[in-house]
Amino acid sequence: MPDEEANQLEILLTREQIYQRVAELGEKISKDYSGIEELIVVAVLRGSVYFAVDLSRRLSIPFSLDFIGISSYGATSYPLGIVRITKDLDINIVQKHVLLVEDIVDTGLTLNYLIKNLKTRNPKSLRVCSFLDLPGRRIVEVPVDYRGFEIPDLFVVGYGLDFQERYRNLEVVAALKKNRSGT
Amino acid sequence: MAVITISRQFGSGGEAVARLVAEKMGYLLVNKAMIVENLRSYGVEDDFDQFDEKNFSLIEQAGYREIEEKRRHYLETLHNFIYDLAIRENLVILGRGGQVLFKDFPPALHVKIIAPLKGRLELVCKSYELDEAVAARLIEEQDQDRREYLRQIFGYNWLDLDLYHLVLNTELFGLEEAVALVVNAARVKEEMGDFPLSLPEDSRQEQGLLISQVHDATGNAPSFAHPSEEEFARMLDFYQIKWLYEPKTFPLEWDSEGNITVAFSPDFYLPEQDIYVELTTQKQKLVWRKNKKIRRLREIYPHVKIKIIYGRDYRGLLQKYGIEEKGE
Repeated sequence: MPDEEANQLEILLTREQIYQRVAELGEKISKDYSGIEELIVVAVLRGSVYFAVDLSRRLSIPFSLDFIGISSYGATSYPLGIVRITKDLDINIVQKHVLLVEDIVDTGLTLNYLIKNLKTRNPKSLRVCSFLDLPGRRIVEVPVDYRGFEIPDLFVVGYGLDFQERYRNLEVVAALKKNRSGT
Repeated sequence: MAVITISRQFGSGGEAVARLVAEKMGYLLVNKAMIVENLRSYGVEDDFDQFDEKNFSLIEQAGYREIEEKRRHYLETLHNFIYDLAIRENLVILGRGGQVLFKDFPPALHVKIIAPLKGRLELVCKSYELDEAVAARLIEEQDQDRREYLRQIFGYNWLDLDLYHLVLNTELFGLEEAVALVVNAARVKEEMGDFPLSLPEDSRQEQGLLISQVHDATGNAPSFAHPSEEEFARMLDFYQIKWLYEPKTFPLEWDSEGNITVAFSPDFYLPEQDIYVELTTQKQKLVWRKNKKIRRLREIYPHVKIKIIYGRDYRGLLQKYGIEEKGE
C-alpha cells in the first residue's frame, strides 16, 4: 500500500466485503423503488463518488445520476459564515424520487443541511443512503435509510474517504493512525 | 436585518430565483417548506395548506366561522414568525405578501418575477410533466390564488408596480441573469447603507469589515467560558443549526432544607433537535466529576436528551475540518 509518510493503516473493510455489501444495497434499493418511473441518485461531492458509481452499477431501476457539492466548515482560511452550495444539481427534482448518496454520516451536520436544502425543492420522496455510518459521533439526529456499514469512532480513509486528499483511491476502508513524527 | 422579497407569477421561475439568491447571498430562504416546518412548533395545525397563498372564498359554507378563525390564527402566527425571524436573520422571502409586510422597511429589496404566458406554460409542462391544457388551468388558478391572497389580506393589487424595486422578466433575461441582477441590486443597497454588508465574505474578511461574532437563536452573542465552546457555536452556525448557550440549569442535589447544593448547566441546547450538548474538553482525570453529574441528570430528568462530546471526539471533529485546537 502506498504510504510514504509511514502513517499506519489498519484495514477495517476488505474489497470483497465492500463489493458484497454494495451489491446487497443495490438490490435492496432496486426492490424498494421497483415500479417507479425514475430515481434521481444525488451523490455528495467528493467523497461519495466512488460509492455512488459502484452502487449505481448495481441498480436495476431507471435512474439519473447528479451531483451536489457544499462548502465545508474550516475549509476557508478562517471559518466564517454559513454553508454554501458549491455545485448545485443540474436536474430539477420537483416531484421526483431522490436518493441522496453519502460516503459517511458522522456528526449529521452536513446531512442535516443537505436534507433541509433538498426538501425545499419539493421532491416526491427523499431517502438517504450512506456507505458508512458512525452513530457514535452524531450531534444532530438524521435519518439514514440505507447504510453500508456501521463502524466504530475511528478516523477512516479509502473508498472515497480522504485525509488531506490522500487515500481516496484505496479499494479498502482503513483506520488511519497518524505517525506524529511523520506529519 | 436585510430582507429580499420575491413575488412571482406561477411558472416564471421565481422559486428558483429566490433559492439561488438566498444561496449566493447566504440568506435564509423563507418558502413554503420552511414555513410548514417551523409553524408546527408554533401550535398551528397542519392543515394550513388551505390558507397558504390561497384565494379564500368560503362565505356561506358550513363551518365558515370556525375556518375563518383558523385562517386568522394562521396568518397572525405567520406574520409574527416572519417579523421575528427578520430581527435576527437576513431573509429571502418567497411570496406570502412579503412586499407588503416589509413595505417602507429600508433594509428591504422588493422584486417581482414575471414571464409571458407562453414561456410559463412551457416551464410548467416540463417541470410537472403536464399537458398544455392542464398546465394552463394550473397557471390560471395559482395566479388567481396569489392575486386574491394579496388583495384579501393586504388590500393590494399584486401587479401594483409601486410595490417593487425591480420587475424582472425571466424570458427576456433568463434565470441566471435575473439572479445576478437581484444580487447586484442587494449590493447597491449595501452601498447605499440600507443593507448589512454580506458579500463577498473573503474580501470583507480581507478588508477587516467582518466582526467575527457568533449569535444564538435569539440573536444574543454570549460570553463563552472556553474557546472550544465558541468554535463549536461557530460550527453550528455554519451548518445553520440553531443553538442556545447554557439556557437552563438542572438542580441535581438538595440539602435537608430544600436548597440546591449541586446543579448542572449543559453548554448548549439545540431547540430544533430538542437536545442538550455538553463539551468536555478537560483533562481526562477531571471528566469523572462531570460524568457523575450527567449520570445524575439522566436519573432525575430521564426525558432530557443530552449528548456529551468528550475531548477525544472534539479533537476528532477539529481534525475532520482541518482546524487547530485553541486555548487548552
